[in-house]
Amino acid sequence: MSNAFVSLQKLSLAYGQTVVVPELNLDIREGELIALLGPSGCGKTTTMRAIAGLMTPQSGKIHIGGVDMTHTPANKRGIGLVFQSYALFPHLTAFENVAFGLRLKKMPVSEIKSRVEEGLNTVGLSHLADRKPAEMSGGQQQRLSLARSLVMEPKVLLLDEPLSNLDARLRLDMRTELQRLQRATGITMIFVTHDQAEALALADRIVLMKDGVIEQVGTPDELYNNPASKFAADFFGFENIFAIKGSNIIGSNGSLTANFDAENGHLAWRPSAISVGSGPFQGTVMGVSFAGEQREYVIKTDFGQIKAANPAADPVYEIGTLVAFDLPSKSAWHLPNVGNDS
Amino acid sequence: MTSKWTSRLIIGLTLTFLIGPFFIIIFAGMSAGDFMTFPPDGLSLKWYMKVFTVESFRESFALSLFLAIFGTIAALILGVPAAYAISRYNIPYAETIKTVVAAPIIVPGIIVGLALLRYLVVPLSFTVTLALFMAHTALVLPYAVRVVSSSLNNLRSDMEEAAVLLGCSRIGAFMRVVLPNIQSGVLAAFILGFVTSFNQVPVSLFLSGPGVRTLPIDMLSYMEITYDPSVAALSALLALLSVAIVFLAEKFLGFSRYV
Repeated sequence: MSNAFVSLQKLSLAYGQTVVVPELNLDIREGELIALLGPSGCGKTTTMRAIAGLMTPQSGKIHIGGVDMTHTPANKRGIGLVFQSYALFPHLTAFENVAFGLRLKKMPVSEIKSRVEEGLNTVGLSHLADRKPAEMSGGQQQRLSLARSLVMEPKVLLLDEPLSNLDARLRLDMRTELQRLQRATGITMIFVTHDQAEALALADRIVLMKDGVIEQVGTPDELYNNPASKFAADFFGFENIFAIKGSNIIGSNGSLTANFDAENGHLAWRPSAISVGSGPFQGTVMGVSFAGEQREYVIKTDFGQIKAANPAADPVYEIGTLVAFDLPSKSAWHLPNVGNDS
Repeated sequence: MTSKWTSRLIIGLTLTFLIGPFFIIIFAGMSAGDFMTFPPDGLSLKWYMKVFTVESFRESFALSLFLAIFGTIAALILGVPAAYAISRYNIPYAETIKTVVAAPIIVPGIIVGLALLRYLVVPLSFTVTLALFMAHTALVLPYAVRVVSSSLNNLRSDMEEAAVLLGCSRIGAFMRVVLPNIQSGVLAAFILGFVTSFNQVPVSLFLSGPGVRTLPIDMLSYMEITYDPSVAALSALLALLSVAIVFLAEKFLGFSRYV
């Protein structure tokens, strides 16, 4: 991709002898909002730290804005990072926290003042300028940390699990806030998360990682509806994934003979695609849980366990009941055999 | 019921033995007589006044003050970077280094004093003052490293990374972000070091020469010649000074968090 703003080329990252990311290639366009998504230990945070310059790659290149920054020290890269812990300076007030970087730039005092005020205003903290971080709530600290990075007008803003320390309601506010800021400033943002819902809701594109390797890159729609691997499907809520051999699907306990359109690879269903009450197959209810719109069932069958969901308004099947269910062909997602699937 | 009285008795005895000598010294110094006795021979403050007129007390006090202040500052200059390195970097043999740094408190002071005398002062003809300064720095160093380490461990390292990303150099981040946040730990280390150095006897005993004595050593030798209550008066004054310092440190720094 020639118009890449951030370009990671054959990037290899390791802590001592432990290779975390063997070889990573990724191009990010200017102004994109990118999610690095994956379970803990997948190398997403390490990749982010490498972009920030907080760790040196074993090999490979990092280009930012068309410049090779692989060996540029972190304090010369012009990249902002909002830490998961916010990493605010406890001995300084909100104003001084935001002014910290501007003062280092030897900017005139009047300009620092106006930019800090503007920065605090953008995140809605003007009234707390004289507070110390310890006197602020988690959400306010988060926004202060954001303002501290934003006033530096970074080329790229990195965010480490930006929503994970907030409660559910604040999380929604912050999501909206981040999207708004991104649209308003046009800054390229890369955020790291382990939460697929967060990635789906916020990102323009999602980079799904597993064991230091990019599993799939795509828009939220693409990853949600067309996961390319068993891992991706599992990560995006296809909780029932079965291998197919001929006309059998293989569960953990045995196989089930049925006529599916596919002959190899895997078939995957979301719980919501499997309804309980009627159908050609049978199983015993092992667990029921109420989840608002839906009632979720864990059903034990001869070939293995499945997860299904009915609309919450439907009759409840108690634990121990023998129920019928269907694995509808038309709502199955077919995953052809791909190399890294197990 | 019995166990309640037993525990009261134990607490009472403990306090008596801990604080009792302190009161004895205060009152022994208030004696109107010419010898150190308890209970005192009548009451007067003349020995408390006399302390300030004894020339050797004044000189040794100045030396002790000098050693306590500059020995501790030197120990902090060495100890703060050491504590930083131990707590931030995954340096090899960190535990060994911590143990070695603590050696001067573990090894009996007599041995340290003898070693310094035998191998520094005598063969290298170091002045006694320099040897005392080095010895006090070494004795205070373990406290400096330990106390500063504990406040560094409470400080998250991502704060420094944040400072670097905002344009600081590594050293700049240390000066602007780390130091201001551990300053009460550094001050606590200073006070602990000051008191430790000021009250030091065994090492100083070996290194004190003619005309160069720390205050506690001077008090010892004064007492060998003159058994008047001025030493008791001086001891009481020093004890009160230490208590006052620690009391203020506790009040303003929460000193006991660090030691």
